[in-house]
Amino acid sequence: MSPVLDIRDLHLSFKGYGGLSEVLHGISLRIEQGQKVALVGESGSGKSVTARIVLGLLQETRTARIRGAVEFDGRDIGAMSARQRAALRGTEMSMIFQDPTSSLNPTFTIGRQFREVLGRRDPGIGRAASDARATQMLAEVSIPDPARVLAAYPFQLSGGMNQRVMIAMALANRPKLLLADEPGTALDVSVQAQTLHLMRELVDDHGTSVLFISHNLGVVREFADRLYVIYRGRIVEEGPAAAIFADPRHAYTRALMDAVPRITGGGLPDVPEVSEDFLAPLIRHEEDAA
Amino acid sequence: MSLLEVQNVSKTFHTDHGPVHAVRDVSLSVAQGECLAVVGESGSGKTTLANMILGILAPSSGRLRFDGADLPSRRLPDHRRAIQLVQQNPLSSLNPKRTIGASIRLGLDTYGIGDRSGRWRVVEEALDAVGLPPAMRKRAPSSLSGGQRQRVGIARALACDPRIVVLDEPTSALDVLVQARVLRLLNDLRVSRGLTYVFITHDLAVVRNVADRVAVFKSGQLVETGTTEAIFTNPRDPYTRSLISAVPVVDDDELSLRNSLAEGT
Repeated sequence: MSPVLDIRDLHLSFKGYGGLSEVLHGISLRIEQGQKVALVGESGSGKSVTARIVLGLLQETRTARIRGAVEFDGRDIGAMSARQRAALRGTEMSMIFQDPTSSLNPTFTIGRQFREVLGRRDPGIGRAASDARATQMLAEVSIPDPARVLAAYPFQLSGGMNQRVMIAMALANRPKLLLADEPGTALDVSVQAQTLHLMRELVDDHGTSVLFISHNLGVVREFADRLYVIYRGRIVEEGPAAAIFADPRHAYTRALMDAVPRITGGGLPDVPEVSEDFLAPLIRHEEDAA
Repeated sequence: MSLLEVQNVSKTFHTDHGPVHAVRDVSLSVAQGECLAVVGESGSGKTTLANMILGILAPSSGRLRFDGADLPSRRLPDHRRAIQLVQQNPLSSLNPKRTIGASIRLGLDTYGIGDRSGRWRVVEEALDAVGLPPAMRKRAPSSLSGGQRQRVGIARALACDPRIVVLDEPTSALDVLVQARVLRLLNDLRVSRGLTYVFITHDLAVVRNVADRVAVFKSGQLVETGTTEAIFTNPRDPYTRSLISAVPVVDDDELSLRNSLAEGT
């Protein structure tokens, strides 16, 4: 069985006034069926552009130069037409963004936005069928009063409620791959913890594969099976999440872990912001080490 | 001796949907040189409290005392100078059309600090104190990284030579490696200059490592206050426990602390 996502030696550069500048220097990443994979790095490391290439969005940007293979479910995304790539979005792959309230349209009710999402897979879906399916999805994300939420506008709901709506919408068409870009960082910690828990249960039930993009190692630890650590457009360490958390070997991964303040105390860490060691070659953990 | 005292302070906003009690009968004090963390979820009233301390909002009832005297709701320049703010998002809080030096100098001109010819030197000293090259004063905020901009935000507050600095989520917009450096800088400055901090945040892991005391807010009320050590080893209020046990953690010691707190709720 082919992996859901297979990225091999992916390079990305942008054409600017000063010539080409390369932002991804050949990254490789695989997600098997049902696997939850995290791509961890700081801002500017290349994690969000990777997601935009998988979604087929960056291919439409004229200044972007993309090289390397990106296969989704055995099909080469690079060889597809813009139309074919667009047809995948919202049906076979979907996305959850950082701030749920600003990624929902404030001028339409939740029910109407659900109908648009469900219409991607089933263009003739009627209002009754759409509402029934939406009600069922909202119940799955533990929303107590689905009818009220369907009739509401996003600004009438709390951030945590909107985040659940986003999760329900993203999974409504049973996608094979879910891309989650820092989900819930705009929310309070306790709400964030609840929604992450919920999202994990749902993707496990549905067998959805996930590419989880984050800079927060604590969140990643609670969510992901596998980890890719990215630094300045290069993967520096990869392997099962448990193995990397137990034994981080790359200097950059170690610095990332050390820099997180601990709730057990111990004072503020003294880690460098940049170091030559961060550019050391890729470290791969054995698959059975977990 | 406490430098800042908040005595039975309430703030009510009157809206179309009736009154909103943002802060309800809160009393607390901050000692000279101390770092008090104010924690709580969004809507808990922590920013309203900060705005009252800064004099941006006037309390509906209760009073604020600074250095042994009442703080009037119309602040005198001396008070405004003595209580400075560092904001969360340094990109939106610095004027994009001013050089960073001009932004830092603005406070000096407003409060008449130093003589006109010496003010650029004060600006350069402030930049140096936060670990930025003094020559950077001629640059625009857009040409700086997130960490550098937040250092400018700190330099801007420091240049006015304040007694109290209100830090409103100063590192939550920063990457974790940058956050670690900025937190260390804030700690060093507090010690070397005898500053007093009111540190507003929802990040309990940061609080654990920077604060002397913690005040926990929920729906405008102070639910628990105590030393950082006591709050984390023996939180009394269930809300405090739930906040601590929601923190995403990285190592096993943290996990067991969190689990032991979760059992108690």
